Amino acid sequence: MADIIIPVYVTINGTPFITGSVVVTWGIIVFLLVLSILTTRNMKMVPGVLQLFMELILAGVHWMVDSTMGSHRRSFAPYLLALALYLLVANLTGLVAIRQPTADLNTTFALAGITFFLVQVNGFRAKKLGYIKSFFQPIPFMAPMNFISELALPISLSFRLFGNMLGSMIIMLMLYSFMPILVPIIGHGFFDVFAGVIQMFIFVMLTMTFITLAMD
Amino acid sequence: MFVLLRFIIDAGFDWLAQQDPMALLLAASALGAGAAMIAGIGPGVGQGYAAGKAAEAAGQNPKGVQQITFVMLLGQAVAETAGIFSLVVALIMLYANPLFQSPALGILLLASTVGAGVAMIGGIGAGVGQGYAAGKAVEATSYRSRLQGPIIRTMLLGQAVGQTTSIYALIIALILLYANPLL
Repeated sequence: MADIIIPVYVTINGTPFITGSVVVTWGIIVFLLVLSILTTRNMKMVPGVLQLFMELILAGVHWMVDSTMGSHRRSFAPYLLALALYLLVANLTGLVAIRQPTADLNTTFALAGITFFLVQVNGFRAKKLGYIKSFFQPIPFMAPMNFISELALPISLSFRLFGNMLGSMIIMLMLYSFMPILVPIIGHGFFDVFAGVIQMFIFVMLTMTFITLAMD
Repeated sequence: MFVLLRFIIDAGFDWLAQQDPMALLLAASALGAGAAMIAGIGPGVGQGYAAGKAAEAAGQNPKGVQQITFVMLLGQAVAETAGIFSLVVALIMLYANPLFQSPALGILLLASTVGAGVAMIGGIGAGVGQGYAAGKAVEATSYRSRLQGPIIRTMLLGQAVGQTTSIYALIIALILLYANPLL
C-alpha cells in the first residue's frame, strides 16, 4: 500500500523513468490544447454550446481578476485561466478512475513554485528596491520572520492542494472496497467535484491575492 | 515513593525491551496517526463559527447570499488546511512510515513517531483562528456585499499569517519522520 503516498512510476525495462502524474499531465495538456483549438477555430457572434461554455469560464476568470487584482492587471488573466483550467481538469480526473496529478506533491509544489516566483518577480518589478526594503520593516530585526513567512507561502499552498486530493483519493479507494455499488456516486460528488473545484478556486485566488499584495 | 516509581519505570523499560521492535514501531505508528488527527478539533470549531456567521448574515441580507456563501466556502477551505496537514502526516504513518527503513531501532524511533503525531496537534490554533477570520469576513460581506474583493483579500492575507504555526508543526513532524537529527 506504500504506493498510495509515493507516486506511481512508469518503468522502462524495469527502471523507474517518470511518474504517472507526468503522463496524466501530458494527457491533460493535449486535452486542453484540443479544446482551445476547437473553441477558437471558427468563433461566431451567436455562440454554440462549446463556445458559450468557454466564454463563461473566461468571463468568470476576468471577473475574479477584476474584483481581486483590479482591472488594470488583466495581463495576468491568461496565466490564471490556464492554471484554473489545468487544476480543474486535474482535480476531476478521479471521476474517470485516474490518479489525480494533484495528489502528488511534485505537481503541487511545482505549481506553488511558479506562484512564488511570480510574487517575488512582480513585487520587485512594481516596487524595485522598496520591495527588498519591505522585508526589513517595521524594524530590521524582523527580517528573519518576514523571510520565513514568505517561504511559508509555497509550502502551505502546495500541501493544502496535495493533502486534499490525496485524502479524497484514499477515501474513494476505501469507499470502492467497502461499498462498490451506488454509494461512491455521493463520494465522487463531494470529494472529487466539490473539494476539487473549491481547491482550484483557493489556489487561483491565493495566487492572485499574493501577487496583488506584493505589487501594492 | 521514588523507589516505587523507579521500579515501575524499570519494569516498563524491561517490558519494552522484550517486545519485538518492529511490533513496537507499528504500535507507535498507530498511536501517532491517532494523535495527529486530534488537530481536527481546530478546523471543526473554526468552520462551524464561519457557518454560523454565514447563517446570521443570510438572515440579515438575503440578497447577498451568493457573495456570502462564496466568502464562507473560501474561508472554510483555508481553515481546513491544518486538518489536511494532520491527515497527510497520519496517512504517511499508516502507509509509508519512513522510520521502518531506519537502521537504528529502539525507543528513539517510537518516540519520533509518536512525537510527529503529537506535534500536529498544534494545528488546532490555526484552524480556530482562520475560522474566526472567515466568520468575520462573512459578517463584513453581509453589510457591504460590493466590497467582496478587498474583504477576501484581507481575509486570505490574515489567514496565511495565521497558518504559520501549523506549518511549523508540519515541518517538525516531517523532520522527525524523514530527516531526524537525533538518530
